[in-house]
Amino acid sequence: MNPGIVLFAILAIPLAAGALSFAARRRRTMEAINLCAFVALLGCAVLLASQVLHAGSVSMWNGFLAADSLSALMVLLTAFVALACSVYAVGYFREDEQNHVFEADVLGAVTISSLRRYYSLTPLFVFAMLLVALANNLGVMWVAIEATTLASVFLISFYGRATSIEAAWKYAMIGGVGLSMALFGTILTYYSAHRVLETETLAGLNWSVLVTNAAQFEKTTMRLAFILILLGYGTKAGIAPMHTWKPDAYSEAPVPVAAMLAAAVLNCALYGLIRFYVLTTKCLGPQFASQLLIVFGLLSVGVAVPFVLVQRSFRRILAYSSIDHGGIMILGLGFGGALGALGMLLHLTYHSITKPLLFFCAGNVEQHLKSDLFRRAKGGIIHPMPVTGPIFLMGTLAITGTPPFSMFQSEFTILRAGFGTAHLFPAVLLIILLVTIFIGFLVHIAKLVLGADPELPRVDACRWKTYSLIGLASLILVLAFWLPGPLFQLIREAARVAGGQ
Amino acid sequence: MHFFQDPQFGNRIITLMAAFVLVLQIAMVGQRWLVTNIRVFAAQSFLLAGIANTIAYFNHAPHLYIAAFLTFTLKAVALPIVLERLVKRIDIGQEIAPLVNVPLSLLISGGLTTVGYVVAASFHRPEETMSAANLSVANLGHNTLAVAVSLFLIGFYMMITRRKAIMQVLALLSLENGLFLAAISLTYGMPLIVELGIFFDLLVAVMVLGILVYRIQETFDSMDVSKLSRLRG
Repeated sequence: MNPGIVLFAILAIPLAAGALSFAARRRRTMEAINLCAFVALLGCAVLLASQVLHAGSVSMWNGFLAADSLSALMVLLTAFVALACSVYAVGYFREDEQNHVFEADVLGAVTISSLRRYYSLTPLFVFAMLLVALANNLGVMWVAIEATTLASVFLISFYGRATSIEAAWKYAMIGGVGLSMALFGTILTYYSAHRVLETETLAGLNWSVLVTNAAQFEKTTMRLAFILILLGYGTKAGIAPMHTWKPDAYSEAPVPVAAMLAAAVLNCALYGLIRFYVLTTKCLGPQFASQLLIVFGLLSVGVAVPFVLVQRSFRRILAYSSIDHGGIMILGLGFGGALGALGMLLHLTYHSITKPLLFFCAGNVEQHLKSDLFRRAKGGIIHPMPVTGPIFLMGTLAITGTPPFSMFQSEFTILRAGFGTAHLFPAVLLIILLVTIFIGFLVHIAKLVLGADPELPRVDACRWKTYSLIGLASLILVLAFWLPGPLFQLIREAARVAGGQ
Repeated sequence: MHFFQDPQFGNRIITLMAAFVLVLQIAMVGQRWLVTNIRVFAAQSFLLAGIANTIAYFNHAPHLYIAAFLTFTLKAVALPIVLERLVKRIDIGQEIAPLVNVPLSLLISGGLTTVGYVVAASFHRPEETMSAANLSVANLGHNTLAVAVSLFLIGFYMMITRRKAIMQVLALLSLENGLFLAAISLTYGMPLIVELGIFFDLLVAVMVLGILVYRIQETFDSMDVSKLSRLRG
């Protein structure tokens, strides 16, 4: 069997699922198509990861699609997040329907057409994210990242409220401008490589070709290119000061979409950044890119602090937490050294597993309170929601990097990288900011979860929602104490790629 | 007719057309009427297709013909028609009402053009063009790259200062025009498949944004994006 066929399968499955869901007429059919597709996708992703671990990189169509360990890790995480979200989405939208969220729902027509939009756009969205990871050509990668924006705009405006249209507009516009900068950066990279490679064929932008010649690239151009790429893909990742779309989009989108934006799109944008970071480091040495990454990383963590402290909405606080974690990851990459990239990718992995859990908990609470404001709880939601409450608290502890949860380990690795490469001041500042965010976040969520009984009706949450919650929570507990060997192997290999070794 | 083979002649034509592209961009800044603005954008895209054709002819880069053809059909014909229909359909007030008044905007555009030239100058290396026997990329790049960077910056400026949602879409498109110009003047365009992908994205983007503009108009009864300010903190 051709090893490249798995790449083809990974891209074909979500495309087919999108088309089938679009043609489906009943809700159950659409749910089944999505669930089956994402289970199959996760299977293929695991297969790809094992192939990459055994045989190095896998490629197809003359290297048009290629997967090294870094791509395989991204595909694995994307597939995992997509599956978790699709399980949760079943319960979430069923409850939405019971709550009569979809307007003018007389004959069920509006509900079905809204659901069809969700169930057919989501696989396309996932397809675009997978293409980002698998495209060898940096231009195609840009096209795919832009496609993630386009596929998700109508997912963000899903509810059709004035506020959700506002959020979608800001998302599309800020994303569009940001990505145009990234395209400029890509063009300049192509230009700086142009003289060395002297090819006008497709291979001229293939990362696997570029990375072997990066040392001879034109230096001034590459410098400008990296700045533009950082601004561009940084906008997509929601790095401060280009983060302003993030809280709006995360709080207005349906919860499964928000979880995918936070846990999978963030990875895609950072993945694009890593690819260019490697080229820049090879061309200009580590100093230049590192400094920029450290500045933007610290800025992101710093910007998140005040907004976490005075936050009124438990959906928006998750967005600021995501800005904070994007910053931490960028800092890890910027610290460099042997540990920096490893810390970043560990953090990215743990974040992709923990963040959806928090969004799911927030979604449960929001659907129960019919609001995303803390003050509407009027007491501890642990009383009406005995499953969601404790898990929300546990997720908060996990995401803020409290031991024994695994994010403590990755943050610790990043800090060690910082001290190890003599970035004393940024590392100390990072510790202070992280502690502040920990306090703010925990106080808010503890107030929401614990406290006197608000005398709200007890709900028995839909079992699909409970499945995904308990499944993710137990995975996080397991990961806190035991990271499977092959997964760690994959992350370490990926860190080697990201570190430019 | 030997000058039809002379790269120097091609170079001059390209520079001339690039200058017109810049003039049209600044005209867009100064223009107060929505439909006129869409037509100016169409003319600009038409010139851009001309530049791509010229480069393809004089520098023997046949894949640029395809890019030129796509630019012409998409950006100069299809998208302007779609946008004009959108304007007619939602029947909005024609005047743009920018945040900054026109004379000041023009002055700022002039300043941004200077910045564009300064940025482009850092790419200019005369010694390399002397050594190359025929027209090198760098030589072709200098003037057109300056125009491209200016288009990019002015497009950026327009996005910030225009309040009508549809004007922001137009500004984004003209910004994209700047990128296309940069790509063809620096490297004779991107590889074909990337170019096709970019055009596809552009087409989808305009459809998505068009629908969104329509929804904004329906929901807020206005196209003024400064009314989109409920989400804070």
